[in-house]
Formats: sequence, structure tokens, C-alpha cells
Amino acid sequence: MAMSVEELRSRYAGMVFDSVEVEALAEEMVGFSTACGETDPRYTDPGHADFQAPVNFTTKYHGARMLPDDFPNFERARMIDAGKAVAWHAPIRAGDTLTARSRLYDIYEKTGRSGVMLFLVHRMEFSNARGELVSVVDWRLILRGGLQ
Amino acid sequence: MILDLHNHSIKSDDSRAKVENYCQWIRKRDLPIDGFALSEHRQFDSESDYRPLEDEYGLLILKASEVETDYGHVLVYGVNEDMVAAFDFSRIDLPLSLVVEEVRRCGGIAVPCHPGRTRVGMVAHVHQRGSVEGVEVIEVLNGGSRGTENDEAGHLAEEYGYRGIGGSDAHIVSHIGRCATHFEEPIESIEELVSALQHGGYRALRPA
Repeated sequence: MAMSVEELRSRYAGMVFDSVEVEALAEEMVGFSTACGETDPRYTDPGHADFQAPVNFTTKYHGARMLPDDFPNFERARMIDAGKAVAWHAPIRAGDTLTARSRLYDIYEKTGRSGVMLFLVHRMEFSNARGELVSVVDWRLILRGGLQ
Repeated sequence: MILDLHNHSIKSDDSRAKVENYCQWIRKRDLPIDGFALSEHRQFDSESDYRPLEDEYGLLILKASEVETDYGHVLVYGVNEDMVAAFDFSRIDLPLSLVVEEVRRCGGIAVPCHPGRTRVGMVAHVHQRGSVEGVEVIEVLNGGSRGTENDEAGHLAEEYGYRGIGGSDAHIVSHIGRCATHFEEPIESIEELVSALQHGGYRALRPA
């Protein structure tokens, strides 16, 4: 029998299930900015005094796991990417080593024209080597039909 | 007085609209509405205080909720502490009969919204399982409904004698004011809105 939303929330919400380290390279920051249509030299010119990653830069990163190892199985074909929301906290500078910790921030259901949808909010929190929080990315995943 | 009775702000998980931006849009576009209600999905926003925005923009901003039931989505006006304790707003399988009764008992009014929509509207559920006692008002004009969905809502209202309201169901700023409700008497508070909805003297319309 499928776990209820309350059971899923109780068991998985808030638990850090993945941690990876990434390095913010200047060329990647410039490439990402350019691809987004950014023209401000703060984001496109490594020689600029305030050169930093664009606000949405951290959306390019993925952890080693999308979900906790023991999360109930479901058909991946029923999963939809519902987009990412980014919260900027501090500048990411070229060469910064970032630690990204992943957890399920929220689990909830809603109903739409297509029926029941289970939402998983996958949150990645990025900190720099000084331990400062620099970015938070909430990635919403929809499981159409919920757990069956 | 014209109020847009169904909108969502960033407090809802699927909306990107800030309340101040709604106010700015209404004034910038000179939309013929006097205020609007925020009906956040599966919750009641008890924290936000929009009185400064009301004063700045000269608009009435009311707080409501949109909950999910076995007959589709339902707008709830007049939310209070008793009501929040009476049932779990976050559930998606609330019995409509329970919502209607508990909302009434706590001094509010429940209004099934976008009734013509598949699954999340009450028309198909009524045809399958019959009507639900206690429903008096439904949303007959919804700004997000497609095709004949609003027509189906209107037919349901005629068939069962429901009164009708209108709301834009805006999730982005530019959608506010697409549908609204015209009240014969002025409304200045959520209590006055609930009373008006309970007693009549209003009609749904497209203001623009």
C-alpha cells in the first residue's frame, strides 16, 4: 500500500540525504551568464572588480541523488519537472568551492484537471568555504497520480 | 461596488504575483474594480497584513482560502480560528458536505469554484453523485476556465438555484480583473462580504 503524504512528510521532510562539493569556475560563470542573455559585466567579465555568478547560476548543479535512497519506488515516466526557484543570499566568486546539501523541503498534494499530483520540493542549499549560505534552490517535482 | 473574489499571490505555491503588484496593475490599467480577495491554495494566510497597501492604493484587500474537496475546489470566505481548527485546509480530499457545514457553523461561507472544470469543479461530481446540501453560491465566472466551462457553471446555477459570483483566479499580475462580482451595497470588511454572499444582491461580471 502506498505511503500517505503524512507518512512521507514525517519520514523524509527536512532530512539531508545528499551532499556534494562543486567549484564555481570563472569560465562556467561567464558561459552561464551569456547563455541567459546577461550583459552586465559583473557577470560576464572575469576582470570586473565585482565579478560574480548570476543569481540563477546554482540551478545548473545536481546532487548525487535526486531523492533519498529508500524513497518509495514509482514510475519515473509520471514525473514532471515543475521548475526551480532560487533565493540569492551572497555572491559566488570565481574559484569558490561550494557545498550543496539536498533535502526534501516539503511534500504535499494538490488536485488539478489531470487529477491528483504529489509535489516534492527538493531543496539544495549552497554554502561557501567560509560556511556562508550563498544560494538556495527549490526544485519542484510533480508525480502525476501520486504514489500508487 | 465591484470585487474580484478569486486570486492567488506568492503565498500559493503556483503563483508568482505579489500583492503590491496586483495593486499597481489595477491602478496603472485603471481597472474598474474596488478591491479583490486572495484565496490561497490549501491554506489561510493569517500572517500578511495588507492594510498599508489598502491605504496606499485605495483598494479593499480581503483574505480567503481555496480548499480541495471530493466535489472539486471551494472558495472559503470568513476564515477564522475556529474554522482553521475545524478541518485541515491542506487536505485534498475534504468532503464538500463537511466543508460547507463547518464553514457555515464558524460564520463563513463556502463557494465551489470553477465548477465546469474537469475533476476540480463540481458539475461532473453533481451529475455523478447528486448535489450537496448547504451549497447556496457557486463561482459562475472564472477567469481561468476554458471553452464552455463557465457556461456549464451557469447551467448548474440555474438548475439548482445557486447565486453566482465571479473571480479572475489570477496567478499572475496581468490576469487580475478579468472576472469579478458586482455588489449592490458597499462592502468594507470580510464580515460584510460574507453577509452579502449569504443574502444576495450581487452578480458576476467581466469588468474590462
